[in-house]
Amino acid sequence: MNSMLPRSFSVCAAVALLLGPATGQDLLAIKGGRIVPIGSPPIDDGVVLIENGRIKKLGKAADIEVPWAAKVLDATGKTVLPTWVVAHSQSGQRGFNENMQNVPWLTVGDAIDPASTFFEDCLRNGVGTVHVMPGNQTLLAGFGMVVRPFGRTVEDMAVASNTGIKMSLAAAQGGRLQQIRRLRRAIADVREHLADFERRKAEFEKEKAAGAIAADKTWTEEIDRTKKGAVDLIQKKVKGWLYVPSFAEVDEALRLTQELDLQLVLGNNIDEAIGMLKRLGKPVVLDENLEYFETDEETQVEKKLCSAKLLHDAGVPFALTLGGGGPTSYPWWQLGTCVRNGIPRDTALAALTTVPAKLLGLDDQLGSLAEGKLGNVQILTGDPLQATTWVETVVLEGAVVYERSKDPRLQYLFTDEKDKAKKAGGPDTPSEPKPEPPKAETPKPAGGGGSSGEGR
Amino acid sequence: MSRSLLLCLAALALPSLTCAQAQATVFRGARILPGGGTPIENGVLVVGGGKILAIGGADLAVPDGATIVDCAGKTITPGLIDAAFRAGGGQDLAENGEEVTPHLRVQDSLDPSDRSFERARAAGVTTVHVMPGTRSVISGLGCVVKTFANDPQAMIVKEDASLRIVLGSEPSQGNRAIRGGQVDSIYYRRPTTRMGVVWEVRRAFYDAKEALQQTQGVPGTPPNPGVEVLTRVLKGQLTAVTTARSEQDLRTALRIAQEFGYKTILEEAQDAHLVVAELAAAKTTVMLGAPSATSISGSAASDGADPRSVTVRLLADAGVPFVVTTGSNLQALDLVREAMFAARNGLSPMRALDAVTIEPAKLLGIDQRTGSLAPGKDADFVVWSADPLDPAAAAVSVHIDGISVLAPR
Repeated sequence: MNSMLPRSFSVCAAVALLLGPATGQDLLAIKGGRIVPIGSPPIDDGVVLIENGRIKKLGKAADIEVPWAAKVLDATGKTVLPTWVVAHSQSGQRGFNENMQNVPWLTVGDAIDPASTFFEDCLRNGVGTVHVMPGNQTLLAGFGMVVRPFGRTVEDMAVASNTGIKMSLAAAQGGRLQQIRRLRRAIADVREHLADFERRKAEFEKEKAAGAIAADKTWTEEIDRTKKGAVDLIQKKVKGWLYVPSFAEVDEALRLTQELDLQLVLGNNIDEAIGMLKRLGKPVVLDENLEYFETDEETQVEKKLCSAKLLHDAGVPFALTLGGGGPTSYPWWQLGTCVRNGIPRDTALAALTTVPAKLLGLDDQLGSLAEGKLGNVQILTGDPLQATTWVETVVLEGAVVYERSKDPRLQYLFTDEKDKAKKAGGPDTPSEPKPEPPKAETPKPAGGGGSSGEGR
Repeated sequence: MSRSLLLCLAALALPSLTCAQAQATVFRGARILPGGGTPIENGVLVVGGGKILAIGGADLAVPDGATIVDCAGKTITPGLIDAAFRAGGGQDLAENGEEVTPHLRVQDSLDPSDRSFERARAAGVTTVHVMPGTRSVISGLGCVVKTFANDPQAMIVKEDASLRIVLGSEPSQGNRAIRGGQVDSIYYRRPTTRMGVVWEVRRAFYDAKEALQQTQGVPGTPPNPGVEVLTRVLKGQLTAVTTARSEQDLRTALRIAQEFGYKTILEEAQDAHLVVAELAAAKTTVMLGAPSATSISGSAASDGADPRSVTVRLLADAGVPFVVTTGSNLQALDLVREAMFAARNGLSPMRALDAVTIEPAKLLGIDQRTGSLAPGKDADFVVWSADPLDPAAAAVSVHIDGISVLAPR
């Protein structure tokens, strides 16, 4: 198999490229739907033609000839979008933070559980790419990994590994200042370690030049492997993903950005720091809770604020993320929250597609539908911002990896199971060799339906 | 009566300061979803004196001198009604002194300036049913209040609207069995199990039944105020609301109600999908708690309930009346979002909206005053920027008794 992602990722130098398992169909055509490519105008009655996992052609059905050998997915009446890209998530792992706080040598690759229901939910919600990172209770927590939420092993799922080191300013013990002090100490320790290493190496070379050391001897010592990642971080060979829980830590975060290559991941109470973030002028990642309440200390009037709207107004690009459960785990709710707060629809859509793809250095691969990009496509029953819209099919790199009609969890949630005796196979159960699968009779879970729901 | 009159006066007072004549305000051009009726495109809503004066299509006659509010492109719905609202007051709603306190009235704990009311009305919720907390077995009397008023009395739409009974693990949570040693905490008390909880309910109703028999035909009040409240439930004068989540607790709730011959509404009822036939047979109404709480990849809900997306459709198909509430789920602060999830799970958008407007009004017995947009009813309504079940829709203005209650942004 060929590597599907032969690319240099700007995220960091040490990106390992792993090939996709989902080479799937040679030719797949998604035909007849309304295509929303993101970044270019929608195409009604369009075709997405995917060859060997990549988008070969994209356009009006009338203009594109679908080869006879292609497998065709009929998307008539449906909406076709690129799969969502989540730039930061701590879900999908068995334990996302080591209780030791300074562990930059760890990687989420060893914690990701491919069987986690989180990845099932990802496909169900149309998410095709997730950047899994260690959690926020840490100082230097180890490396993240970009995965596709499909596959039996972490290797199957991997899109890019060693995507940067997670750092956090969330106060764990002893409050905010203590956390800042400890993080600075941790970074200073790494600098000292590196300086010591380089001093010894220079002395070695000096002594060698002076003849005190035999000429055939070379410096073989390497940087301690538990320090290597952090050394790469301070040398800006590796990106740091810094969690900034609120406005109060933004100041320190900006100081750190002067010495490290950092991507900020923001909590939601950020309004007081919006000016500083504007001056930083770099895209940020938002955590899943976009709306929050704030009380004016003098008037005691409570206001509802939206972090995404504040950033949008300040002209700071942002990427949205999804929660691990509840309403914020649904892309339609997150996008709707943006639009409800006055963010243009296209900006909201970009925040879950092109912006995160760019932050991950994968914008030449995914985030929008365009010729040459990966065939990561979701087919929805309707508009992506409606509550009644369901993800019908997910295609990753040209292979169908999710179909709503075959989703066992949705069948479970939408099946009437009142007849338990039958389910348990009790004495009254007619002895059928194979109980009929519910999908044979009802190809769709009963809910959802069209964008306007099924009237009764 | 006098209370509603006061409200009317309060409503009148504000606009009349500026112009005594022009009391009527006309909201024109919106799509009106009146609650329980057919939508009106390009509709006209006339309000005045805190009441709805008229509602109709574009051709509706408008009173002279009325203030006109252009609502083109907007949607107007009745103010939403949350039939199981978790009001602020926090610990104040959970009396821990006794297990059975039917006579406690939640209105004595209500604080109109509580944030939860402010948040509710900002989200388009104009009326809520508040019940005492879930830490007791029979926790007391609930009441229906508007989410905006200057003093608690003025908020009240209906007092003593319900009697709350709580089943499941909550009432016994934290209670410890006495095993030697000193009894130095109130939590060394019964019940500590589900059967203990059920016994507390039974004993209370036994006492009430006995009191009823003793006072049969004899005028005068039974000695214990709690017992008096329970006799009202037994006589069908007061609605019981039983909080139950799992199938086991739902069946228990139905069983006890049948045993003592009272009617109960089932609240929360996450496992209602497993007892639909029984609910229909018992002609029970369900206050379905937080449909959004169904984490789709299925973490176990509280009390071992197994919430399913199919529930709303099964209840609708079986003709079991139900309303959608925010319930006890802390994440579910937004009632319209719960209706959204009901629609997502297969309920028609119309029914989903009814489940947070006219249906709870009927259930709480306040549909004469609110729950739908009709002449003579309270002017409780919301102007939305788009269809309220669109996640991108926001409440543009919220009106309670004709008063715009949304703080300008």
